[in-house]
Amino acid sequence: MVNNRALGIVALLAVGAWIASSSLYVVTEKQRAIKLRFGEVVQADIEPGLHVKWPVLNTVRFFDARVQMLESTESRFLTARRNALIVDSYVKWQVVDPSLYYQSTRGEVSRAEDLIAPRVDESLRNAFGSREVDKIISEERNEMLEEPQEQLDKRLREEVGVAILDIRLKRVELPQEVQQAVFQRMRTERNAEARQYRAQGEEQAERIRARADRERQVTLADARKKAETLRGEGDAKAAEIYASAYTQDQDFFNFYRSLQAYRNSFDKGDDMLLLSPDSEFFRYFRSPTGEASSNDE
Amino acid sequence: MAWNEPGGGNQQDPWSGGGRRGSGNGSGGGNGGNNQGPPDLDEALKKFQDKLSRLMGKRGKRGGDSNGGGSGGKGNPFILPGVLVIIVLAIWAGSGFYVVDQSERGVVLRFGKYYDTVNPGLHWSPTFVDQVTRVNVTEVRSFRQNASMLTSDTNIVTVRLSAQYQVANPRDYVLNVRDPEQSLRNALDSTLRHVVGASGMQNVLTSTTEVEEVKQIDEGGKVPDMPETVEDPSELPVVTMTPPVPDSLLSGREELGPEVAKRLQESLDAYGLGLRLQTVNLESTQAPDQVQDAVDDVIRSREDRQRLINEARAYENALQPRTEGEAQRFIEEATGYRNTVVSDAEGQTSRFLAVLGEYQQAPEVTRQRLYLDTVSEVLGNNRKALIDVGSQNNSMIYLPLDQLGKPRAGGSGVDSQDIRELESVFQQVQNEPLSGSDNSSGQRQSSGISREGR
Repeated sequence: MVNNRALGIVALLAVGAWIASSSLYVVTEKQRAIKLRFGEVVQADIEPGLHVKWPVLNTVRFFDARVQMLESTESRFLTARRNALIVDSYVKWQVVDPSLYYQSTRGEVSRAEDLIAPRVDESLRNAFGSREVDKIISEERNEMLEEPQEQLDKRLREEVGVAILDIRLKRVELPQEVQQAVFQRMRTERNAEARQYRAQGEEQAERIRARADRERQVTLADARKKAETLRGEGDAKAAEIYASAYTQDQDFFNFYRSLQAYRNSFDKGDDMLLLSPDSEFFRYFRSPTGEASSNDE
Repeated sequence: MAWNEPGGGNQQDPWSGGGRRGSGNGSGGGNGGNNQGPPDLDEALKKFQDKLSRLMGKRGKRGGDSNGGGSGGKGNPFILPGVLVIIVLAIWAGSGFYVVDQSERGVVLRFGKYYDTVNPGLHWSPTFVDQVTRVNVTEVRSFRQNASMLTSDTNIVTVRLSAQYQVANPRDYVLNVRDPEQSLRNALDSTLRHVVGASGMQNVLTSTTEVEEVKQIDEGGKVPDMPETVEDPSELPVVTMTPPVPDSLLSGREELGPEVAKRLQESLDAYGLGLRLQTVNLESTQAPDQVQDAVDDVIRSREDRQRLINEARAYENALQPRTEGEAQRFIEEATGYRNTVVSDAEGQTSRFLAVLGEYQQAPEVTRQRLYLDTVSEVLGNNRKALIDVGSQNNSMIYLPLDQLGKPRAGGSGVDSQDIRELESVFQQVQNEPLSGSDNSSGQRQSSGISREGR
């Protein structure tokens, strides 16, 4: 049968294709791979590219060769002075020895992480336990992790076949109850500032008012001084005028002014005058000839 | 994906390796199942193509041009497989076309090895041989971070910033790191907290200039003295209970963005993420919400300070003109007095001089006349009592009792007590010289005699 022969050829082709597909494999640059023969590693670290294996006999295991990240959950660490800090961190790691990695983790990332996480946690604990809070927060945030990273890197390369490229702290925070205390302190500090500002305002306002009052007093006193000077000028001028006039006849002036004074003194009409009849005025009141009285003014 | 169909590779592409296409999930090998050595592919192809052209009468080069499916009637056993192979080849060839958009670059892995990064345009690459990953390189991606964190002086601040970044190296982006975006986020988080943690709260929250201003203040939160008078509000001292930290990493908040960007880019390069930061925009740094009301109150208090000062200024400004006015009044009054006094003096002296002129004409007579005029006027205007006091013999007493007794404030008439009072006054008067005491004795008398509503 034509068709049979044709189908046979097709079948042959299919078999060929299966053989090819099960004997060829590609390792990409994102991957590391190992070749196993019945579970035994025969080729440890296979380069990226197209490779050949025996079908059935060989199996190939691929691992992610890119840098991976393991983020820790937040945990509570104690510092040198037994202060607690809430910390979370992340670790960058990478498979460097695929066969060792395969042996220790069966190639499962989760297993690898189960191996890495506790060790990182432990070394972080040690690093924190030997330092003060302020050092951890500011100065040695990265430096404190260099040594643990190097040690872990060395150990895990040997034991698990992974490199620890970087350990970084993300959040380093105070526990909830301490945070509340910090907030409280910050609030009181702000309140003190606010009070200061208001006090400054009052002080400055008082200064300005006092200055204004002082200036008012000084100004008024100056004005009074000027006023008195003017009055004095007036008095002096008047005195000069009087003097220049009255010195012409002092005797008459005394007389004349006295009369004026009497007039002015008794001009209201509600005074009671008690007079002695021997005053000058009553000279003729007593007798038509009139005798001078000694009491007369 | 692909079926594992055999296909004679019509391959012009020079690829390293054997004459069979392979891929992760396997693919049809060529005509030979020999997997150890690469056969002479070119020859095989030629043969195959010749066969095909003989069979079909044309070359099935164009993909998708499948016009053969029927089983040949000639009984050639290769027709069906051949047609199948051609169809598969056509489909395979057609599936190799791909377009890289203007905003993208394609990272090509050939048999898993990095082969090329291709630019925008239409490309062809053999399926199963090449893996193409398109990466957008022009899109600016951004990531926003909003978190509260500790500062070096154990205060807590809330920082909000956004990072904008692009894929700079598609190869690294695809190949090096498992989750570049998440790596970036974590690196940013870590870097930001580190930078803030190495700086004082003031240094994170305020600008460098303000920090410098605050640094003038003595350490320990001592408040500076108020200057004598402040004309410019900006001269008013700044109060802080949380002074800037001397060895702070940042000197002011405007450095936060650049500093984080610098360190973050270093991290990105160290991880080989293939990302490039464009900018790190600091959106805000502020005290945490739990403290925000107190911070707002500080701002309000600064306003209050200004308000108090302004009120005092207003008082001052209102007082000054009033004072000037009052001062002017004093001076005006004094000037008026001066002029009045001088004018009075001039008036009186001119009058005096006029009278003096008269007097000098007839001194005695004028003198007498003036005297009598005055005294009569005075006596005429006032009540009087003429008393002959002392031991003068021919003296007379004239008491205008009706006048004396006249009630001035609704009192009763004169009683014996009044008269006794009068008499005691008279006794006094008698012992005093008359001159110059008329007035006072008169007043005393009046006070003695008036009865102010007993």
